Formats: sequence, C-alpha cells, structure tokens
Amino acid sequence: MTAVAEQPNNARNTSGSVMNPTTVERVAGRSDEMLLNLGPQHPATHGVLRVLMGVDGERVTRAIPHIGYLHRNHEKLEEVRTYPQCIPYTDRMDYVSGMQNELPLCLAVEEMLGVEVPERAKYIRTILFELSRIASHMVWIGTYMLDLGAITPFLYAFRDREMILDIIEETAGARLLPNYFTYGGVRRDHHPQMLEDILGFLKWFEKKLPEYEALTIDAPVFQARTVGVGVLDPQVALNHGVTGPNLRGSGIGWDLRKDDPYDAYPNLDFEVCVEYGCDAYSRSRARFREFRESIKIIRQAIAQYPKTGPIVPKLPRLKPVAGMERYRAVEISRGHLGVHIVADGSEKPWRSKHRSPSFCTLQALPDMAVGSKFSDAIAILGSIDIVLGEIDR
Amino acid sequence: MSIIENKEARLPLERVSVPTDKHYRMRMKQHGLLNSNPRKSGILAAIVGYGLLFGAAHGVLILAFQVIPWGLVSLGLEKTSFWYNVIYGLLAPVLAFLFVAVVALINILMLRKYLAKVQNRYGPLHNGPSGSLQTVYDALKLVSKEDYTPKMVEETIFTLAPVLVFVSAFLLMAVIPFAPGWVFANVEAGAIFIIAAGTIGGYGVLLAGWSMNNKYGLMGGLRAAAQLVSYEVPLSISLLSVCVYAGSMNLSKIVEAQQSLWFAIPLFIPFVIYLIAGLAELKMTPFDLPEAESELVAGFNTEYGGMRFGFFFVAEFAELYLLPALLAVFFLGGWYPPSIPTFGIPFLTDMAGGSSTLQLMFKANIAEGEVMTWWNTLFQPGGLLVGAQYSFWFLLKGAAGVYFYMWIRATLPRFRDDQLMELCWKGLIPLSLIGLILAAFSRLMPAVGITISVLVGGTFLVMIIRGAFFPAKQVKA
Repeated sequence: MTAVAEQPNNARNTSGSVMNPTTVERVAGRSDEMLLNLGPQHPATHGVLRVLMGVDGERVTRAIPHIGYLHRNHEKLEEVRTYPQCIPYTDRMDYVSGMQNELPLCLAVEEMLGVEVPERAKYIRTILFELSRIASHMVWIGTYMLDLGAITPFLYAFRDREMILDIIEETAGARLLPNYFTYGGVRRDHHPQMLEDILGFLKWFEKKLPEYEALTIDAPVFQARTVGVGVLDPQVALNHGVTGPNLRGSGIGWDLRKDDPYDAYPNLDFEVCVEYGCDAYSRSRARFREFRESIKIIRQAIAQYPKTGPIVPKLPRLKPVAGMERYRAVEISRGHLGVHIVADGSEKPWRSKHRSPSFCTLQALPDMAVGSKFSDAIAILGSIDIVLGEIDR
Repeated sequence: MSIIENKEARLPLERVSVPTDKHYRMRMKQHGLLNSNPRKSGILAAIVGYGLLFGAAHGVLILAFQVIPWGLVSLGLEKTSFWYNVIYGLLAPVLAFLFVAVVALINILMLRKYLAKVQNRYGPLHNGPSGSLQTVYDALKLVSKEDYTPKMVEETIFTLAPVLVFVSAFLLMAVIPFAPGWVFANVEAGAIFIIAAGTIGGYGVLLAGWSMNNKYGLMGGLRAAAQLVSYEVPLSISLLSVCVYAGSMNLSKIVEAQQSLWFAIPLFIPFVIYLIAGLAELKMTPFDLPEAESELVAGFNTEYGGMRFGFFFVAEFAELYLLPALLAVFFLGGWYPPSIPTFGIPFLTDMAGGSSTLQLMFKANIAEGEVMTWWNTLFQPGGLLVGAQYSFWFLLKGAAGVYFYMWIRATLPRFRDDQLMELCWKGLIPLSLIGLILAAFSRLMPAVGITISVLVGGTFLVMIIRGAFFPAKQVKA
C-alpha cells in the first residue's frame, strides 16, 4: 500500500453521506475505483467491524479491515483484578461461546498453582465445552445464511441454539456469559437434570441436522455461492496464524483437542474434521462435520461420566509465585484461544495476554477477498466466522 | 444423584424442545394478550381477516365494473356520452388505485404471516384479528413521517424515481381483465403495453440508485438495471409465444382462447420461463441483488424514508400480485374455473363452459334485450354475480402464484450477479426462443407441436425438480 496524502479522484462520492476514508488509506485513488466503507454499522459485519473496500464495479480491488470499535481493554482490566475476578472478563471476549473462553485462563492458573482438577469437573467442563461449540456453530449457520440472503435457516438455528442456552442457564445461571468454570474445576454442581437434558437435546438435534444440511451445504444455490470462493492457501493460512475450522477447511488437521489435549479429551475418541477444498464451502463443511463429532464427544463423555466425586479441589491461596508464567491454549469453536499469564507474586496477574483466533483469521481476509466479486467478499467474511468482541477484546 | 438411570424424571425432550414458544407464551399471558391456544384462534382469525380483505378487493372490482356504470346509466347517461366517459375516466384510476392498495395490503400481510409460519414464529399478532391490521398501522406510520430529502441528492430525480416505480406497477393494472368485460382499458396490443409499462419500473429503480449520492444505492441501482433489462427479454419472449399461439395480443381474447385448454400445458416452456423471469422482475429472493440486505444495506432505496420509501414498498407488493395475475391471464386460463371432465352431460358442459350455476338457475327469467333492472344486472350473462364468480377464480389463481413466489422467497439464498446473468443469457433466453418456435409450430400443427412441447417442457421440469429437491450430496471441491 502506498501511503500518499492525496484526495481520491472520485471526490464527489467520498464527500457525501459515506465517510471519508481516513489516515493511511488516503491513497491515490484510481478513477475507476470506488472506496466503500463496509461498516462499522452494516448488516453483514457481525458486530462492529469496518472493512474499507475498494470496488471496481463489482470487483473488489482491496479490503482493509479496521478494528477497535469494540475495544474494552480486557487485558489491562485483568491486570488490576484478582484472579477470580478475571474469569468474567474472558466470557465477554467471544460472547457467542462464552463458556469456552474461561477454560484457557483456568488451565494456565491451575498449572501455575499445581492444582489437580477432579475427574468429574473435567467431564462437566468437556461436555459444556462441546455444547458451546454446537451453539456457536449454530449462530454461524444462521448469520452465514443471512449473509447469503436466506432468512429461514437463521430462525431455525436460533430456535435450537435456545435449547442449549436453556441447559447452560439451568446449570450456570446465565445464558451467554455463564462465569461457570473456575480454577480447579467448576463453580458449582450442575443441575440434576442436565445430562438428561443434553441427551434429549442431542436426540432432537441429530434429527434436525439433515434438515440444516439440506438448507445449507447440500443446497445448489449455497454450493454455487461458496464452492471455489475465498480460497485460503494452506501456506497463507499458516503465515497468518489462522486456526480452527478455517485452517481445517484448508486441509491442515491442526486441532488442540488432539494435539495438546486438556480436560477429558485424552479419554475420548473423535476425529479431526479436515476438508481439502480451501474455500468457503470447505470451511462450512468442516463446521458441519464438527457438529457430528461434538455429538459423538458429548455422548462418550456422558457415558464415561463419574457419578460421584468433588467438583473443585481444596485450593491454595490464589497467589502464583513471582516470575512464574504460563501459556495455555484450547480449541474453541473459532480456533486456537490462548492465554499468557505472568505472575508477580500478588493476587493479581502482572500481565494477561489473550491470543484470539478471530484476530488472526481476519488478517487473512484481504488475501481471500481481493479480486473476488463484492457479493463473494460478503460470503467470505461470513465463512470465516469472526466475533468482534474477541478481536478487539 | 442418579442422573442417567432415572427414567421417571421429567421427559427432557418435552421440556427442552419448545422453550422459545414457552417463554413467549408466558410473556404474552402475563400481558393478557393470549388466552386460549394461539394456533386455533389464530387460524380462525386469519380466515376472517383474509376473508374481509379479499372481500374488500373484490368489492372494489365490483364497484368499478358493475355498480358505478349501472349507477351512471340509471342517472340517464348513455354509455357513449361525453359525461359518462369523463366521470368514469376520473373514477376508474381512483378505483384501480384502491384495488392496488388493498391487494398490496393483503400481500404484505400474507408474506409476513406465511414467512412466520415457515420460520416457527407468529408474525403480526396484536392489531386486528390475527394481526391483520398491522400493515395498515405500518402504512399510517409511513405516511405520517417527515418527507425528508438528504443533502447532495439530485432532488428532481430523487423525487421522480419512486413515482416512476409506482406508476409502472399501477399501469399494469389497467389492461388486466378480471372477468369477461371487467377491464379498465381493453387495449388491442395489451401484451406490448404490459412489456412497455413494466420496463418503466426499471428506470425508476436505476434513477433512484443513481440520484441518491450513496454508494450502496448506486451499486443497487446498477445491479437492478442490469437484472431488469436482462430478464425483460425472456419474459417478453415468453409472453410473445402466448400471443403467437393465441393469435391475439388482446388479453381478453387470450383468456377466451384458453376456455378448453390452459396455455400452461401446450406452452409449458414459456410458462416455466415466465415463472423464473417474473421472480427476477419482482426482485425477490434468489434474485434480490438490487436490495441485497446483507450486501448493500437496502440497495437502491437506502436513502429513502417515509412515504417515498412507501411508494417503493407498495409498488413491490402490488407487482407481487400483478405478475402472478398476468401469469393467470397468459397461462392459467384467466377467469375460467379449472376445467372439469364433462362426459357430455349438458348441465356439466354448461358449467365447464363458464356459465355459472346461478345463471343457469335464473336463465328463464332473462330475455334478450330486456330493460335493465337491478335483477337483470345481477343475473344476466356478464352480470354482477357472474362477473364476481369469474373474478373470484381470477383472484384465487393470482393468490396461488403469490404463495408460490413466497415459498421460494422463504427457502432460497441469493445468487451472485454473474450467476444471475449466466442463468438469463445462457439458459432462459435460448430456451425461450425454443419455446417461441414450438409455440408457432403448435399453432400450425397442434398434435405434433403440443407433443414436442410437452416432452421438452417435461424434461425441463424433471431437471428443475431434480436440481431443487435432490441436490448433489457431494461436491468435488
């Protein structure tokens, strides 16, 4: 990008109701290029993302993501709070699958304190973790189909996601931001009906899954819109640090549940869903296959579930030794979520750094979108399934 | 804490499967808005509500074509006299506008209720029976809003564009025959008029997008121009096939030619092409690129508000009825009821021939050239009740077409612009030309032509159904 401080040639278009592109993007505009501010308020940006798009007719000539509209300073806030007070902040990063965000922080602090998590707590965590993954992918189905112009799957997906949220609400007390996992296990025992509810939901969901597939990945129009669209080269994906279903859709079977297992995952049998198309369709298929794997994981975990035992051990004082640091990462529904904690001997972390998957994935957007059609750019933005709360933190 | 073994616990599925409805109903009951089972009362109220609205649309038609001419003649004005034509000429557009407004109202409601049904929602619920007055309130809100023009728009064109779109939809009304003789303007070249009037709407949309100084609007307008102009071609060719086959461009004569056989069967290819191209002309879901919400915010009407937007909205939903109505005129036998096999029985033959039961009952009372009384006005051939019966069938066929389009809208995602153009220029236009040739062939040699047409059309239909309902399970990515 050449940063030239010069007004674009199409001055009439930029001086009207659409904002002027500011700062470094004030590049010498070509006369056939129209700069389009996609966001921060736009139906397809999944939050408050602003993508500065150059379009030549319908062809996208550049796509520059601008982030920071949802920045809430979580990392700094965690540095001035005690360890137990940090957990609710993690919920608010990826608010679509809030429960999953609590886990890496818990794992890191548990390792620093040398706490052994009880078996029962491990299984509860694993079950709810996978349930959150299903809920998160349901939101993805709904919003992605909205991006592609179909409204009905959105309402179907949210109908079924509501069931998961009800289960989580009964157990944790909150739907989206449960604050349920804690250092050493889980905060309180689960609802006595929880496992039955989950089995009931899985039965219902397995029945509904073919319906979702018929409306989405098996539908001819969906395939026409996604196959060969937004090709993410495996090497480019690795360079950007793309993880999760987006990486697995590019043919690289990297999954922390297998590669760096935590909680009950070492005891469970499941496969990593890899698709080799590298396009939006492959990423979608990878997510749909993960539905079935998640169902398999939850069924196994419920079968192996130890019916008795503590949910949280006797904890030492939450004051890790000064100079101690840990990095732990888990595979949330969007990919590799890591937390780096540095302790200074007090009850507050000296530094807390979150490595969020959507942040890295969004950096690959220009590589995928430039050169495609404008409609494709929207389809690509939907297919990488970003959550702005987690990007901006 | 036996969790899995306890079979006597509450059935989890029962409790889990309808939580959204449960919460919603609880909230509604708290506010006293829902006393009984909402489904049953909803259906009953919907029947009453739609019956009233349907009756209103029907009433406007009867007013336009029977009561007002009868009243004027009773006042002593000859049908050919100057003042008769002046008064009726002034009243007819008002009535046509009323009809368009009522029909648009019904369509908006039907769409909202039908989409809600498909999507496990209730839709409008609180105003009027089963929410049937919701659209009226919405319209009142639009009218009461400030008539606002944003800065830096081409103000003349910005104001003109919604008018053009509305007038285009409104003009189509003029030539549609609702029953024998029930037509505002019996134009000889009706088919040409429809093509010409329909094209004006495309101008309106393009100018709206261009004038508003908004980039999304500009893109929407350009997309609309490309789409509407392209899909005019197969649409026009399919209409011309009908004209070739029927031997007339007058819509009344085209309908009369379908008394024994609806053109949908011998002209199957133009029929299917009209269905698809009509959807594109309506800018509805698989082809809703000009106003693609997730891409262009609101497309060509981004900067419009208040009644300016209302004009676009009413025009869109008026067209949503008028295009299926034209489908009924050109392909589904217009005002004729579905033909039934008569087996040579005279009474049944009369019925199938279009005479109404009422007319048969009172046939003896009416003699040729009798003085026009209210009794005769009701029961003479082409009288009020007969016309009402015919127009009922016509409105019903239109409604079936509307439902078909809504079904598609509820199901499919959107095409991309190049796929849209590909479908039109590589698929529909060559096929419509084949359809035109076959239509001419069928006119010259009916037996051979119709056989070929049905064979080709049937293959096409099988291909469509196969593609739509049995899609490829695996894609080689």
